[in-house]
Amino acid sequence: MKVESLLSFTCPVKMNSGNKVLEGLPFELAGLNAAKPLILASPNDTPPKAIKILLSAFGDSKMTFGLFDGIDEAEDLGTIEYLKNICQKDRYDALIALGGRAADAAKVLNMTVSYKLPDARLLTAETTINKPLGPLVVAITAGATGLETSSLAHFGNRVYRSEYLAPSLAVIDPRLAVSQDAAAMACSGLAAFARAVEAHGAVPENPFRRAYSFAAIRFILENLPAAVSNPGNRKAALAVANAAAMSGCALADGGNTGLHKIGQAFSGTGRGPAGMIMAMALPYMLNDYKVNGGFDLAALLHPLADDDTFAKTPESERADAATDIANRFVSGLQKTAGKALPRTLKETGLPGYLLEDLLETLDAGPDGARLCSVARRMWDGVSPDAKKG
Amino acid sequence: MLLPDYYEFCCRVKLIAGHDALEKIPELLAAKGARKPLIITDKGVAGAGLVDIVSRAAGKLDPNLVNDSVPPDSDLKVVHELAKLYQENACDALIAVGGGSVMDTAKGVNIVVSENATDLMAFSGVGALKRPLKPLVAVPTTAGTGSEVTQVAVIKDHDKHLKMAFGSYFLLPDIAILDSRMTLTMPPFITAMTGMDAMSHAVEACYCLQKNPLSDAHALAAVSLLYAYLPQAVNNPSDRDARLSMAIGACLAGMAFSNSMVGLVHNLGHATGSVCGVPHGLCMAILLPYGLEYNLHKREEAIAGLLLSMAGPHIYKETPEEQRAQKVISLIRKLNDDLHAKTGGRHARSLSEVKDRDGKPAVPREALPQIAQAALLDGASVYNPEETDYEDNLMVLEAAWEGKPLDRAKVKKG
Amino acid sequence: MARVREISSGRKPLKRAYVAMFLWFTGRAIQAAAKADNQVKSEFEALPENFTFSLGCLPDGPWMVVGKKNGVVKYLGGKLPEKQHVRLAIKNLDAGFLILSFQESTALATTRNRLVTDGEVPYALAVIRILDIVEVYLLPKIIASLAVKRYPKHWSVARKLKGRIAIYTRALLGL
Ligand SMILES: NC(=O)c1ccc[n+]([C@@H]2O[C@H](COP(=O)([O-])OP(=O)(O)OC[C@H]3O[C@@H](n4cnc5c(N)ncnc54)[C@H](O)[C@@H]3O)[C@@H](O)[C@H]2O)c1
Ligand SMILES: [Fe+2]
Repeated sequence: MKVESLLSFTCPVKMNSGNKVLEGLPFELAGLNAAKPLILASPNDTPPKAIKILLSAFGDSKMTFGLFDGIDEAEDLGTIEYLKNICQKDRYDALIALGGRAADAAKVLNMTVSYKLPDARLLTAETTINKPLGPLVVAITAGATGLETSSLAHFGNRVYRSEYLAPSLAVIDPRLAVSQDAAAMACSGLAAFARAVEAHGAVPENPFRRAYSFAAIRFILENLPAAVSNPGNRKAALAVANAAAMSGCALADGGNTGLHKIGQAFSGTGRGPAGMIMAMALPYMLNDYKVNGGFDLAALLHPLADDDTFAKTPESERADAATDIANRFVSGLQKTAGKALPRTLKETGLPGYLLEDLLETLDAGPDGARLCSVARRMWDGVSPDAKKG
Repeated sequence: MLLPDYYEFCCRVKLIAGHDALEKIPELLAAKGARKPLIITDKGVAGAGLVDIVSRAAGKLDPNLVNDSVPPDSDLKVVHELAKLYQENACDALIAVGGGSVMDTAKGVNIVVSENATDLMAFSGVGALKRPLKPLVAVPTTAGTGSEVTQVAVIKDHDKHLKMAFGSYFLLPDIAILDSRMTLTMPPFITAMTGMDAMSHAVEACYCLQKNPLSDAHALAAVSLLYAYLPQAVNNPSDRDARLSMAIGACLAGMAFSNSMVGLVHNLGHATGSVCGVPHGLCMAILLPYGLEYNLHKREEAIAGLLLSMAGPHIYKETPEEQRAQKVISLIRKLNDDLHAKTGGRHARSLSEVKDRDGKPAVPREALPQIAQAALLDGASVYNPEETDYEDNLMVLEAAWEGKPLDRAKVKKG
Repeated sequence: MARVREISSGRKPLKRAYVAMFLWFTGRAIQAAAKADNQVKSEFEALPENFTFSLGCLPDGPWMVVGKKNGVVKYLGGKLPEKQHVRLAIKNLDAGFLILSFQESTALATTRNRLVTDGEVPYALAVIRILDIVEVYLLPKIIASLAVKRYPKHWSVARKLKGRIAIYTRALLGL
């Protein structure tokens, strides 16, 4: 392969997946030199019983731990300050985040505690994060954001970035991966799918990132439909959760990619989860990549199709075949999910003025014009090909 | 993709690859708060001028803090001497420039200096380390062992004739720098065998019992790079793209096997190495086809799946499904044949072809029973998909000695 | 606003009792197999005098210890000795339950990262081989053939049947 500029990759996350993974936590914590973890959970973002399952996994470990189940949507640095003080006073030496929202909060808390900030409320997105933080474990749950394993923390309208924010360990247990919420399952899987697709196709090619995204894409294609039609299906749900965790490790370019940005921007309006938005944007974004380049669509055919189909497709047809499979996959799920996965921004009830605000945000980056044109097309869902001419 | 009932995957190493990756070292060390690294290497590597290149790129290293005393494999005494040097000079990081021997030594030194250990032995085994060690930057100069991304080290105590193994995620280097300049000087014969070591890591990772979706994905990516670029790197040693691709391939293979573990090929290879002193890579090259044949009945699909990565879409498509696994095996044999031709016969294809320094056969047929026995003492057998007892080992060794395909009817199937 | 609650981990007395019982039984079965099965016997013969190994769960048991004294293999109870040659430590009680209720063989559990093995590799391998053979005796074929890599078809019916009866009786009687 040709490597023009430097190629780099880091995934500090150890991944443990499968039967009785949670029961391994005391052992894993001991390996991280931690004895007294603080568990963070969010009541609205955690499957029922999840807290109980997690607590009972510590049975017989003789450990003492803290539980805070008040991470809420307000994402207030005051809460972080409160938790920081408790951590220092009661000597908690590790954090366990249950679910995606808690993971974001835990990353911010970890920063505050490890750097001994005088007050969490002094944190800004510019705070430098250049040293390892304390041990952080994320438990992947049904409805995972897929960013739990990433080096990003979204908290209170701010995004913190640093490789040190990523957790030391992600535990993926089938008991936490199953749920009763088909729509949340679909969104979680589609977020993983969209990010993995972007990570895989990103240029210049990065084989380390591709390894993670390859596995994530295959898992989603093979399991998401089954998991959506029955979110209690342990095998399928576990595979989707795996893909979510992998997609966070693969996240291309620190999240500076189109689908991810659009997903984050629009989900910030509360009109729907990032996965739903990214699924909506996917066909338009892929079309943009096809027209404007800067993306390896042809290579995407390998994870998207089985080995035989990939091998049989002539090189010149791979990009179109890949786009076609990805689009059909997404629209198939949208059809099944009905209202839970609208196909246009209009259908989400997003007011026009908000769209304009968002376009402004998107326009800020170097790829602003491209993202805005994608977002405009998402508004009324006119087929990208029809608009092209 | 298969999702096992349970699996773990971990590779925390920060990876930087490129034709000028070494230039990143100062910045990376500074980010770790390190100013005074100790550079560990061996005479072969230093003699090839590689430390000078590192020194130039990394901005003038203190020549007193460059030490090339690592012997082939490793040595407990050297580990302690290097640790002393580190402590006396108040160093704050380690840079290992070399192959597997240097990496293992540097990991050993890191345990001693981080834990202030007087006896390294106290930290042997798995799980003895409980906290992060000093920053370790790994600069591999062979594209083979993958030890820049493995969590193990083997240190030899030559006085007591002991091999100590260490296993811990904290042994993973912090940073691995893959730079094409580091392997350009490797002669074709060493390129060939260390490259086949990497290939054996990727291939064994695909069939061993601890395989998982992430080890698979890394292994497949590795196989496609290694298979495509090994002949190029041997043919044209100064091909920088081929060298870098090999370094990346070997690293991916290391990530794969350190999570899936290795099986029969390494099992018998370790034993052949310790009984007859055959270099590890050469054992791997010779035994790899046999590992595939022996386990074929248990792992046909996984082995067949390698064909696409190896030979590309065209050959994959042209090969009927039921012949794909067999095709993989014959391509590996063919690769060995090519490497044999290109190295003037030094890349042996069978155990009987291996020569020692004096040109005499290194593996006499009479040694096979002893090797088969020694293999029973090696941990790799645990991860091999099919059971292996003494007779199984001997049968495989005999075929590999003669260089004939394994008579698969004789493999006892469970 | 929600507050942090400090919680102590619960206990799992039933699982613990079950695991302890099966460890006890496995220990006695190993002692029995060392007499009744030639392969187990010769594995032990190759091990040094005073060889001791244990199998059990982290963080604090239950354990079973088997040792060899004056050439005789004996189940030595559930208390970890100061020194031993091999320790097979299952990472937690629940994984211990999976293994000792024979849902996962020792070998399979090893390849699934469920165990931590301490001690010299050759000794640890011998212990795993011994456990494999004992599992074949203790379990019905359908379960055992899943548990071990190669179900020993080549064993004679006599070895299986006689061995199984002998090992069960001896294990229960503690012979
Ligand atoms: N820790 C692990 O995960 C792991 C895995 C496999 C093997 N190992 C260990 O690694 C060792 C083998 O490592 P290896 O195969 O890399 O060989 P090596 O490090 O022993 O080096 C072989 C020879 O090649 C020379 N050499 C290395 N790079 C060169 C270059 N670029 N140009 C010219 N000469 C060069 C060296 O000086 C040496 O003489 C064994 O001791 C083995 O036990 C460790
Ligand atoms: Fe190797």
